[in-house]
Amino acid sequence: MRDGYNIAKRNMPVVALITEDFWDQGQFVANSLGMPELPRVMLPHPVAGLGEAKIKLIADDVIEGILDSFVNE
Amino acid sequence: MSDLLEAENEEQALEQLHELGCTDGLPVVIPTPERVNQCVLASGMDGDMLLGELGPAMGNATVEKVATAAVMAGCKSDYMPLVVAAVKAAASPEFDLSELQATTHCTAPLIIVNGPARETCGPVASGYGALGPGHRANASIGRALRLCLINIGGGRPGISDMAIHGHPGKFTYCLAEAEEQSPFPPLHVSLGYDESDSVVTLLGCEAPHSVLYSDNADDPEDAEKLLYVLSVGLANLATNNAIFASGMALVCLGPKHASVLARSNFTRESIQQRLWELTQFPNAQHIRYAGEFGKAFKDDPDGTYNAFKSPQNILVMVAGGVGLYSMVMPNWGGAGHQNRAVSVKVESDFFCAIPGLSQRGEL
Repeated sequence: MRDGYNIAKRNMPVVALITEDFWDQGQFVANSLGMPELPRVMLPHPVAGLGEAKIKLIADDVIEGILDSFVNE
Repeated sequence: MSDLLEAENEEQALEQLHELGCTDGLPVVIPTPERVNQCVLASGMDGDMLLGELGPAMGNATVEKVATAAVMAGCKSDYMPLVVAAVKAAASPEFDLSELQATTHCTAPLIIVNGPARETCGPVASGYGALGPGHRANASIGRALRLCLINIGGGRPGISDMAIHGHPGKFTYCLAEAEEQSPFPPLHVSLGYDESDSVVTLLGCEAPHSVLYSDNADDPEDAEKLLYVLSVGLANLATNNAIFASGMALVCLGPKHASVLARSNFTRESIQQRLWELTQFPNAQHIRYAGEFGKAFKDDPDGTYNAFKSPQNILVMVAGGVGLYSMVMPNWGGAGHQNRAVSVKVESDFFCAIPGLSQRGEL
């Protein structure tokens, strides 16, 4: 979330990718940094170590949401 | 002035503080305005003086709020200069507190106290069981910092503090260096301060890991064997330092082990140098066991790497009772400044003694 905030501060479009377990923490950080509406998309938790095939499946699931966030938010 | 909560009695006040998530799970001293004001007065600073911002909530750590945490933690007012210095260190940008609070690693800020304030603002224990129970200053100063990280910094488990397990040092983690038992200059002097200064050094690190070494004065390799054993605990493949090849770590030598090294003419600097050399590992080992992090050295499978960027990233201090044990505390190694230690001089000039207060054991 902090990376997303740093990119947004540079006036660049951004969508933060936040895993399910970190969703509340992401909102907490977004609130603390004054960007509570920072666009974000939820990933399953954990993502690390799943291997390329499963990562691609997750990417397939979330890509539409990421693109929608860039267009609509 | 902070908002005031109301309760009919201290028992109800305690339950209210628990329900609001303002405690560490243990009972606290109720921070009544009178108790907090006494700690503010003892600090010699105005209550609204800003010591820094604490992340990830980026709350303002005013003297009054820090005094509130000190009261809740059970501090005597004498301890305030050390609590204030620890908060200043945590708020320093180089400490990367927001990241430190949020990481999944178990890191907790360890407070190391050097100089005369060990006694004048304590006593802060440095001998037997210094990291264990029974030492009021150690217990309450470390706890006061934790309560600041919870209530000002917003670090709450599973919400903003994402440590997978945490560790018991997240309740309190504070000790002094046993300067009188050490054959080396005090840690703060090696860090560039005057011996007459009092300094708090804050290092985010893991729980301490005990290192056993049975020394033998007749063995010409005694010191080298001790250093090897210390290095195994310091940066084995289970530590972030060995995997990230970054961060700092603390070696807390027991006085007996310190004397083994001094007997072989080791200084703090040469101990750091040798430990740095001994924590140099084959890239092939890293590539095999470090998973995603193993990519760092994939282009040089026959080379070696150091777990620490420099010998100075291995802090060495002396504390504990006399026996066959030392301790090592590896650390996280993440964030912009790679989890470095931050030292802050204790400003005891502002400190205002309240006649009779400490002697009565209040606050």
